[in-house]
Amino acid sequence: MLERLTPAYERLFMKYFFLIFESIRRNPVRTILTSLGTMMLVLVVTLVFTVLTAMDRATTEKSSNIKAIVTEKWQVPSMMPYSYAKALTEGAADPADKSAARPSDYMTWGFFVGSTESNPAKRGFENMFFSFVMEPEKTRTMMDEVDEMPDSEVRPLIDAIARMKEVPNGVIVGPERLEKMNKKVGDRITVYGRNYRDINLELEIVGTFPKEPARFADSAVIARDYFDRQLDAYKQSHGGKAHAMADRSLGLVWLRVKNKPTFNKLTEQIIGSPSFSSPAVKCETSSTGISGFLEAWRDIFWGVRWLLTPACMIVLSLVIMNAISISVREREPEFAVLKVLGFRPNQILMMVLTESVLIGLLSGLFSAAVSYYVINNVFGGLPFRIAFFPKFTVPEAALWWGAAMGAGTAFAGSFVPAWRARSVKVSDVFARVT
Amino acid sequence: MTTDVSWVHARDVHKSFKRGSEIVDVLNGLNLDVHSGEFVGLMGPSGSGKTTLLNLIAGLDRPTQGEVSVGGQIISKMSESQLATWRTRNIGFVFQFYNLLPVLTAYRNVELPLLLLPLNAKQREQQVRTALDIVGLSDRLHHRPGQLSGGQQQRVGIARAIVTDPALIVADEPTGALDSKSADEILNLLGELKRTLKKTVIMVTHDPRAAERADRLVHLDKGLVTHAQA
Repeated sequence: MLERLTPAYERLFMKYFFLIFESIRRNPVRTILTSLGTMMLVLVVTLVFTVLTAMDRATTEKSSNIKAIVTEKWQVPSMMPYSYAKALTEGAADPADKSAARPSDYMTWGFFVGSTESNPAKRGFENMFFSFVMEPEKTRTMMDEVDEMPDSEVRPLIDAIARMKEVPNGVIVGPERLEKMNKKVGDRITVYGRNYRDINLELEIVGTFPKEPARFADSAVIARDYFDRQLDAYKQSHGGKAHAMADRSLGLVWLRVKNKPTFNKLTEQIIGSPSFSSPAVKCETSSTGISGFLEAWRDIFWGVRWLLTPACMIVLSLVIMNAISISVREREPEFAVLKVLGFRPNQILMMVLTESVLIGLLSGLFSAAVSYYVINNVFGGLPFRIAFFPKFTVPEAALWWGAAMGAGTAFAGSFVPAWRARSVKVSDVFARVT
Repeated sequence: MTTDVSWVHARDVHKSFKRGSEIVDVLNGLNLDVHSGEFVGLMGPSGSGKTTLLNLIAGLDRPTQGEVSVGGQIISKMSESQLATWRTRNIGFVFQFYNLLPVLTAYRNVELPLLLLPLNAKQREQQVRTALDIVGLSDRLHHRPGQLSGGQQQRVGIARAIVTDPALIVADEPTGALDSKSADEILNLLGELKRTLKKTVIMVTHDPRAAERADRLVHLDKGLVTHAQA
């Protein structure tokens, strides 16, 4: 088999490679300009598709292992009483009803936003502190993407969760926030509440999120029990008067259900329960919930996906077409010589196409690889804050789509000139009537 | 290889070209026979149809009417694809302006026609070296055309023409761009190919000194053979 393949491979590619390679080297400036154009296109498309792919993934409905979100029905942001939490995390199932739908896992979220700066006049984005108030162990089992990572990739997070059991006021901080605060694990910080006015938290940093997923790089997690104790402490120190937000500290509840029918049944149980009437709640899949958050971006996403990207590709195709056309015009006598020597028209077509596609493919791959490395490893993600997504990492798939886009655009741009090269008439090039 | 057989036949060959709205008749029922191993010179004034005839014999173009056969094969009826294959094995073409690929070395230029044949790299190398040896350029294998003189470039062109061991060499004014010394060397080489390798050579030329090297001269005028002289 291999013996049969080797000559075929040589016949198809290796024999002509030097011809293609030397042709590419012939005009370095033109080759470099074509390459740069392709790289720019792939860079733009990589950035655009990095964001869109993450959005698509977050908003794609799953058929199994579904995550549901329960939020307040009529208000954004949702602020439900924490007394809802227990029943909601059980899916509002009647304890006596064994056939009731129950979630396989859950997570409650409250949001504590504050600042590490004590002077109110100096508080700003750079010292802002955003944290999820939740069950620490759920960071591993329920947080998007983290829940799908193997233990080996989240070992420090697992250790941090364990440490939070020993340190009630522990906080897990995203690596980027940690760097901005110029703190390290083991340090203590004070966070001055903003949405919970007069609630100031003395926290000990017990660990960090992994670098991936980058969406948690700027966030933090504090324990629900600790936070509730701070609310109680506030009440005691204010003559028995509870904090204004004390009864509105549950932002949302995440529930994991095994499939769509279970989700539907669970939704019926929650919506139909009289326990959640004031305020009323709604239950939707996480993808639907995130889609709702992203509604304001819908037209922009559409335009970027269906107008900007195709426009970039068309423009680059035209640029490549121009460059290859000039090259083909210059090389017409060479193509005629090749025909005289016995090269068939389709071999010449393939040669020109291969030259161009090779440049496109390598430039696309190079651009995508550099984007992947620089954005993910140097910048820690693409900073483009949308809803819960502060940063986006370039997916590995960018490597093949970058290469494919470069090659595809080059193919589209070079087909017409390659056809012209194929159609060169030897007698038109050489034969003057003599 | 036989020498007493008419090897190239052109019978009642017509060739017309369209120039704008005008049809120009270049060949008007031309007849020609060339024997195997013969060195024929084609002469005639500009526009007489020399190069057009050469292109038809070399299978680069097809006649509007009439028949051209080479080595017993009627090439005027072959498809473009068949002609391409046929040219690789049967024709060596020498151009006035060499037409070497400037980005390739002498070795690679000579190797080009061999890429189309079922030969492995070693066999190709052997044939390329032999061809370059015949033209006396074994020491210029890795020079690009720009690094060679006109005469040397034409010798590379001849090496390229003979590397597939074709029976017929067609040369379109091979000395037209050369000084007299280089021209002599090229003509000697073509003569040598005819004598030692028994190649059939058809050469278009305006140069009387080049014409002297031919076994036979065929004069064309207005698309017809006016007379032939040995």
